[in-house]
Amino acid sequence: MKVSRMSFKSYVDLDESDQKLNSSADESFCEQLTPKILPGEMLIAEAQSVLLFTPTTSQKTGKSGVLTVTNFRLSFVTSEEKPAEELCYQENLLLGEYDICLSNVDTLYLLSGDKKRRLLPGQRVPERVKVLFVLCKNMKVLTFSFKFSPVGHGKTLTNALLHHAFPRRHQLLFAYDYREPYFKYNQKVISFRDPEEWRKEMERTGCKGWRLTYQNQRFQLSSSLPEFFVVGKEVTDSQINIAAQHFRCNRPPLWCWSTKSGAALVRMADIVSTVPDRKQENAMLESVRKSHPRKTPPSVIDLAKDLPLPKDLSLSYFRLRELCVPDSSRQFWVQDNHFFTLLENCKWLLYVSTCLIKSAEAADLLHKDVSVVLQETDGRDMCCVISSLTVLLLDPYFRTLNGFQSLIQKEWVIMGHPFCTRLRHIYTNEEENQQSPIFLLFLDCVWQLLQQFPTQFQFSETYLTTLWDATHISLFDTFLFDCERDRIFAVKDPNNPLILRNVWDWGEMYPDKDIELFYNPFYNRPENFELSAPLDVQPNVSDMQLWSQCYFRFVPLLELIGGGKPMIDLAARAALSIENGSFDIVAFSKHIGSFYPFTHWRTNTKVPPLLINSSLNLSNIDTLLDTQSVITVTDF
Amino acid sequence: MDHRTLEPNHYTSSDSDSKSSSLNSKLGPESVSSGKASYSMTKSPCSSSSTSNDNIANAATFDHKFRNKNSTLDGNGTVRPDDPPLLPGEKVQGVAREVTYLCPYSGPTRGVLSVTNYKIHFRSMDRDTPYVIEVPLGVVSRVEKVGGQSLSRGENSYGIELFCKDMRNLRFGHKQENHSRRNVFEKLQQYAFPLSHKLPLFAFECTESFPENGWLVYEPIAEFKRMGVPNEMWKISKINEHYEFCDSYPAILAVPAQATDDELRQVGAFRSRGRIPVLSWIHPESQATISRSSQPLVGVGGKRCREDERYIQLIMDGNAQSHKLFIMDARPSANAIANKAKGGGYESEDTYQNAEVIFLDIHNIHVMRESLRKLKELCFPTIDESKWLSGLESTYWLKHIKCILAGAGRITDKVENHKTSVLVHCSDGWDRTAQLTALAMLLLDPYYRTIKGFEVLIEKEWLSFGHKFQQRIGHGDDHHSDADRSPVFLQFIDCVWQITKMFAHAFEFNELFLITILDHLYSCRFGTFLFNSERERIQEGCVKQRTTSLWSMINSHLEFYKNPFYHHVPHSLDPVPTMRYMKLWKSLYCRWNPSMRPQEPIYVRNRELLAMKEQLENKVEDKKRDTKMRTSRTTTTTPTRLTSPMHV
Repeated sequence: MKVSRMSFKSYVDLDESDQKLNSSADESFCEQLTPKILPGEMLIAEAQSVLLFTPTTSQKTGKSGVLTVTNFRLSFVTSEEKPAEELCYQENLLLGEYDICLSNVDTLYLLSGDKKRRLLPGQRVPERVKVLFVLCKNMKVLTFSFKFSPVGHGKTLTNALLHHAFPRRHQLLFAYDYREPYFKYNQKVISFRDPEEWRKEMERTGCKGWRLTYQNQRFQLSSSLPEFFVVGKEVTDSQINIAAQHFRCNRPPLWCWSTKSGAALVRMADIVSTVPDRKQENAMLESVRKSHPRKTPPSVIDLAKDLPLPKDLSLSYFRLRELCVPDSSRQFWVQDNHFFTLLENCKWLLYVSTCLIKSAEAADLLHKDVSVVLQETDGRDMCCVISSLTVLLLDPYFRTLNGFQSLIQKEWVIMGHPFCTRLRHIYTNEEENQQSPIFLLFLDCVWQLLQQFPTQFQFSETYLTTLWDATHISLFDTFLFDCERDRIFAVKDPNNPLILRNVWDWGEMYPDKDIELFYNPFYNRPENFELSAPLDVQPNVSDMQLWSQCYFRFVPLLELIGGGKPMIDLAARAALSIENGSFDIVAFSKHIGSFYPFTHWRTNTKVPPLLINSSLNLSNIDTLLDTQSVITVTDF
Repeated sequence: MDHRTLEPNHYTSSDSDSKSSSLNSKLGPESVSSGKASYSMTKSPCSSSSTSNDNIANAATFDHKFRNKNSTLDGNGTVRPDDPPLLPGEKVQGVAREVTYLCPYSGPTRGVLSVTNYKIHFRSMDRDTPYVIEVPLGVVSRVEKVGGQSLSRGENSYGIELFCKDMRNLRFGHKQENHSRRNVFEKLQQYAFPLSHKLPLFAFECTESFPENGWLVYEPIAEFKRMGVPNEMWKISKINEHYEFCDSYPAILAVPAQATDDELRQVGAFRSRGRIPVLSWIHPESQATISRSSQPLVGVGGKRCREDERYIQLIMDGNAQSHKLFIMDARPSANAIANKAKGGGYESEDTYQNAEVIFLDIHNIHVMRESLRKLKELCFPTIDESKWLSGLESTYWLKHIKCILAGAGRITDKVENHKTSVLVHCSDGWDRTAQLTALAMLLLDPYYRTIKGFEVLIEKEWLSFGHKFQQRIGHGDDHHSDADRSPVFLQFIDCVWQITKMFAHAFEFNELFLITILDHLYSCRFGTFLFNSERERIQEGCVKQRTTSLWSMINSHLEFYKNPFYHHVPHSLDPVPTMRYMKLWKSLYCRWNPSMRPQEPIYVRNRELLAMKEQLENKVEDKKRDTKMRTSRTTTTTPTRLTSPMHV
């Protein structure tokens, strides 16, 4: 690996030995470094001579450069040259290698010695900021030291970050400021904003007993529903109007998808708790029955029963993050000792498994020609997860890239999954915080399916990980709003109308070579979508795996050099691509790690050998050892 | 969710005529599995997961095919319609009708149970889709009668239970009144434990033959030659030609060139069971080596042996790149110290100049046996999903695997990155030492990651260096609680599997290859894993003359065992030994559970891609040849040491 003059490796504790510091660090800060600025982006604060540490190296290795805060990003720019082999890593056209969008910032900490203090918006930043630790929503961690920065730079920067990374109004998000002209060109993803698109989807699935209603035009009926949605043919518009009021968020049963034989997948909210009887609910369920060609009564699946509440899921995610973002290599190996138990305790895989169990149950019913009604409190969280997973199991169209994106558009974006709240784009007080990675839970479930059916999906795990990252970029509107109404209002705001840019135009953010990696080289497109069998998923906890690309990619310790899935993937890509017939996997294997195309931290991070072995702790086996091996046995 | 109602290793006899693309062949009555299957079967194998049961298609499936072919070729005239398919040399010893097999997954089923001198064979009669269960008797570790006369309650409580070495138990119910149990039980006792009944192991009765001869796979001189030995620093010694110097070592040894036979004898006297440090592997560029031995006989008094010290110095001097030697003691330091009380111990850094002793903290055979017992409890017959991960952790199985991998990784690191030689030992140097040297060599040398190279690795580091397979597995004897039994070799294969999961493209062989090796580790159908040492195999067993090698079968059907992702990776592998990456090998340990189907249609897909690639490559080759024809002739490059030495 090329050694560049801007990286450093310190064998002394930067925190304690002011005198012993690497003197070359000072000299190297001579150049002026500025981040790339987008139209409408404004520089807010800058700190010179900042060190960015490599994660889990106990602040011993890293890079130096300039740190800036803009209204879009936290940017770190280093003059260090990138080694040539890293050019094949994922490149973001909007964000630099070490940049993060402000919307990705989850928590800020000030480190001083062993002390770690959380900084909350509105708090005073101390005069002297030594080390700033940024924890991101996608588990990325960034540790900056202002040790060599001019006095005051650390404080100014931290202040600016604290102020701008946690906006209290939606209009402060960068999407409103971005001035780049926009030309929509990805027409293949169906937005479901147009009634015609709904009709086409109904036609595609061959659904019969259902019709499109315009009752929610101008969002008169429900603020969280789209202007057009599909209801049973038997129900009149006035019936819908009355019934809707009996459901939470005014969300009556909504059609999602139909089997060829006519069984339908339907989602709805709970009945409002003040309503004394379930008359309206029953009437609506009756309409679902009547929409079935053989008038079979539907099966109602109560999603509130076994699935986690958003709060539970949020807690689970924080615990998972603790396992994936260790503070130090020491903590990493301590956790490693009990990793399985810790993983079990965080319940993440249990929740993933439960979602798949529910979806498999729904898919099985639909396959047996029974309509399924998914019911959940507001019908905006787990309904999205289970309805999308269920159709993914049944309909191969949704396993194509555009089909999948259209599915997210239909079941999540248009149907009003509260992305803004769940992803916490707007800062709320801790008590009101309803952040919850429901979308990630869904992506994880899809990833599990991809592991079990590697030839059934057109997209790759790199795509899924990138999609998760994209939810934290405040430039595209797709994941920015709680519902369609908010979006339309923002567009129509006379003072500062928002230009909609959807995330599905991946070319806005990634070069072609990276978009290429969104496609699964093993995909085996079915010749006939309609004859395809449902995916017979194995949904138990013991069948679940941890999504290491997404969760471990920021831990350099865990990268297998020349190993993991990317090598197989690349070989298959090479086999597929005629131009690259002479693809040299051997040359690649030295430069590509198991987190390809993500990690860039490929400095020498060899595991300290002593730590590996001290991690074996066999408390209750030790007794066995004493009695059996030492006394009676020859080989021990 | 419903469990699938078929047994993974049950197959209908109708598949015996299917052709060699066995990964795609149906293993059983798939259509009964669930309602969904009805049209899932209509498609190409790669487009649906429902073919995945065939991946459990362990050796048994293939065996089955060969066997049928063989038995017809054999022209065994006395085959009755009821008889199970037999291998050449296999004979039915007992048959019981109206026996009930109590399947833990799909419930009881009635049929015919046959016992041969090789296997137990059960064929159900009362199901629409008849299925077969077949277990080589070598796999059986214990046979018990269940349900005494007074106790017999319920229909199937009276019968026989088999406890197997491969993570399963089988239970059969017999009708008390027709006295079928006694005969079956007696035959089972005799043929599952032939050595306890003065009968030969099946490998000596089996007369099957294969186009390839696996006994020729490993030839020690050729293998040393591949590594460039003898050279200036290392020589081939014939001191153990007649196994008189050390009866658990191979006949051919590589030792430092300057060591005289006299010195070797003196070193031998100072090493447990005379297992002196000898060469296992040498780095082609740096000349850093891996040597192996047993512990030095230091004892409580801290005895010294000048010759041993000088000898270790010679090993160190064999590598000009470094003036240091690492002695990797596989044991936990407490065990190493405790061994001093019995006259053993480890090298003192004071007396062995420039040597550094590192303890790798791997536990002994008893700890490992206990760990596997717990794992079986967890995996068989069903899994408790609510406590799966913590349950897995409490078996310590994966922690042990991780620890062995970490040890092998450290050896690799010293040899590859620090160009320093390493001496590996534990107590006797035939269990943990074999695990470590073999794994380190696998990580360092791409040759051992090929199918034939891996066979050589097992022949060399395990078989020739006296891993006591007979004792550790307990072939054919009925002492099921023998304290010498231990899954040491299984752990090694598990470690290899873990590495193949991390570097899936670096190995020529696939998972089936590893599972086949393990199946025949127990089966006693081949001579490969019989006896405790090379001496016993040659002088007592004459295995090469009287039995067939497992490699004969494997090498005759290489296409089954090839990894479609394989790309030759010339450099060493660097696995990350963390629990975060340790996986339970469910397609081995949980394969009897029908809900545990592994899903690898990706294999099939990649085969297709490879076929496409091959076509393209052929086109490219054609073009190249064209251009070559036009220009001058060029010489072909000669492959160096990475090719197999066997067919030179």
